[in-house]
Amino acid sequence: MILVVSLLVLVMLLAAIAAFFFKDLMSAVIAACMVSLIASILFYFLQAPDVAMAEASIGAALVTAVFIVAIRRTERYEK
Amino acid sequence: MSETTVLVFLAVICTGIFICFLRMLKGPTASDRAVAVDTMTTTVVALLVFLGFVFQRYVYLDVALVYSLLAFLGLVAIARFLEGGI
Repeated sequence: MILVVSLLVLVMLLAAIAAFFFKDLMSAVIAACMVSLIASILFYFLQAPDVAMAEASIGAALVTAVFIVAIRRTERYEK
Repeated sequence: MSETTVLVFLAVICTGIFICFLRMLKGPTASDRAVAVDTMTTTVVALLVFLGFVFQRYVYLDVALVYSLLAFLGLVAIARFLEGGI
């Protein structure tokens, strides 16, 4: 079980670094969505299912939708 | 459920998660990355249901239900943006 958690933490770290370096902001939003997904699983592993549910609802749907509206209002590619 | 079954399941799920992550890093367009994240969501929902079964706590199934519904909503928002709908 500790190996699974280690792999998830590694993937989460690399996805966060990728979200930092992507020039296409839509790809950065998708990478942030992946970070939120893995954070939700980690809360689940820590025996906190309600926190995992809140993280899933906020991170997967709300933050993604708000960022997409923001990208739509401004511009998609970072200069 | 035997110990070997749990280990094999966890190994297969971790391989799937890692492959989806590599596709998310590599994918040239945003559509590839969106599909990779959606595939990873499906894999992770399977992992959540299985862990709820292993821990013998059936309340944990609600997390998988809520997550699969909301990840679908997020993916629909991303797809609408990529098609120019919003």
